Parts: sequence; structure tokens; C-alpha cells
Amino acid sequence: MKDNSTTPMASPGQRAASYWFVDGLPEILVGMTLLIFGAMGLWLRAHVPTSSTRFELFILAAGFLLFLWKSRAILDFLKSRVTYPRTGYVRPPEESARPDVLITLSLKPSPPPDENVTRFQLRTVTVILCWWFFLDGMNPWKRWCVPLAMPALAVTLYALNRNSERPFRWWSALILALTGPALLWLDVPTLLQPPLPVLLAGGWLVTNGACTLVHYLRANPHPRAPEGVRA
Amino acid sequence: MTPRIQEISQLDRVIHEPARLAIMLILGGVGEADFLYLQREGGFTQGNLSGHLAKLEEAGYVAIEKKFKGKVPLTVCSLTGKGTAAFAEYSNRMLGLLQPNGSSGSPPP
Repeated sequence: MKDNSTTPMASPGQRAASYWFVDGLPEILVGMTLLIFGAMGLWLRAHVPTSSTRFELFILAAGFLLFLWKSRAILDFLKSRVTYPRTGYVRPPEESARPDVLITLSLKPSPPPDENVTRFQLRTVTVILCWWFFLDGMNPWKRWCVPLAMPALAVTLYALNRNSERPFRWWSALILALTGPALLWLDVPTLLQPPLPVLLAGGWLVTNGACTLVHYLRANPHPRAPEGVRA
Repeated sequence: MTPRIQEISQLDRVIHEPARLAIMLILGGVGEADFLYLQREGGFTQGNLSGHLAKLEEAGYVAIEKKFKGKVPLTVCSLTGKGTAAFAEYSNRMLGLLQPNGSSGSPPP
């Protein structure tokens, strides 16, 4: 089966987890959400008095988490129209909040491996959101805040996902990293800087996902009959 | 005939066929998958996969049911409890046979 993952996946469970990202839809959905909520954050910072901005950001974060909670149903709807008729259905991977490092450091025997799992939300979405709140308190750094934060965010995302079911390519991470220094040429007001990494990361994810989707659709142009032959 | 050779003849022949073993292995790893996914993942032709799934279903190892994802009908296959147990026993027996000392009974991975 053709997929875009660069890491060879040996077991059927790992291949199934990798298959979840073969069409780029999860990245597009999360990226669009980040763009929408980042834009709302930007608008709030520009138009709402500073004293209430924190509360508004909290409301935005709550809405975002609510959206992530429902994102599986939305993805299932999209995949049933795009992916399943083309290359088939396999049970979606479980979202695992269990980082690998805890297993490595633990002296207890590890639980039986459940390989059809993904940590996309933990390793990518949570990292980007954490960056948002982290940068929110770094205004003293002024105009160097975002230009320095973007390379760090890119390196973090690349390193955390390097051996995952959905690794990012190094040149893709490099593009995200370069968006930071590129902002030095733009005179963005300090107040508006904290939501920028979310917007940039959202746009980066959408672009990544869109490229994957185009590649997938070109590789599988003619959907087969939606129903397989009954045994 | 040594006991070890005798044990080979006791392997579950329904699972032992390579294509059916591949189907059991995929379904054991992913939980459930539809016909098209199995076909692409295992490199089967439609007729080949249909035949092997029919044998596995007849043995009670695989359940095949029609499901709807949105408005798209899918033929979804999954291992039954009997199939999971049979596959575990087969793995156990094979691992034992392939060990240098030939001791079977080690737990399946």
C-alpha cells in the first residue's frame, strides 16, 4: 500500500496508525482549526481591551478543546467520502496520551503493546497550544519573541514526531522554522505577536496536509466500487 | 517420527496457509478492516481474498459484516473470539517449534 510516511512500519497495527494520516485530512482539520482560533485570538488582541484578553483566550482554548473532542467524528465523515472508497477502511488508531519516555524509564514491565495508536494530538497539537500560552507571557522579549520561537517550535515538532506514525520531513520543518526570522522584516506590533505562532503552525499544517492529500488523490484517482466483494 | 515433527502435523491448517495467516495477522493487529484494505495490504486479488475469507468465516475465525460509514457501505472483517484464541494457539505452537530446543508452550507475543 502506498503511503507518505518516511518511516517503514513493520507491524499491521503501526501501518494502520500510519494509514490514518495517509490522506492528510487530520492535519488539514487541525491546521484549519488553529488558523480559525489563532485569527480570533489576533482579532481579540487588536480590538478588546488588554484586561479582558486573558479571559477571552481562555474561552477560545475551551472552544478549541471542545472542537478537538469532536474532531474524530468530523474526520470519520470526511474519510468515509474520500479515503475509505479509495483505499479501504481500517479501525482508526486510539489517541494515546502515554508518552514513550515513561515506559522507557519505568522499571515495571511494559503493558502489552497496542500498536494501532497515535499520539498526534499529544505531540503536535498540544505542543503548538503550549507554545501559544508560553509566548503569551513573553512580551518583554518584544520583537524577538516570535522569530526565536518558531525555529524552536519547528525543531520540537520535528524531534517529537521523528519516529512516530506521522513523521514530518526535515525540509518541511525547516520551512516552519524560517517563518520566524522572516517575521523580522515585518513590523508586527508586540501585542499581536503571541497568536502568530498558532497562525503560522496552522498554516503549515494545512499546507502539509494539502500536499499529502493531493499526492494521495493523484496516487488513487479512481475510486473503486464502494462496497467490496462479499466473501 | 519425533514428537516435534508430529506436532507440525497438528498445526491448524486453516490458519497455516500463508494467505490466511496474513489475513489473521493483519486483523489481529488492527482490530477490524474492510475488504479493500485487506486486499491492498495483503496484495490479494478479489477472488483470492474472497475465497480465503470464506474459509476463515466457515471455521468461525473471522466475522464479516456490512457496516455503514456515513452513507458508504463497507464489508468489515474482524477476528472472532474463537479466531483470536486459535491464532494465539497457532503462534504459541509455531514459536515452540521454531525454537532450537523445540520446547513449545511459550506465551505468544
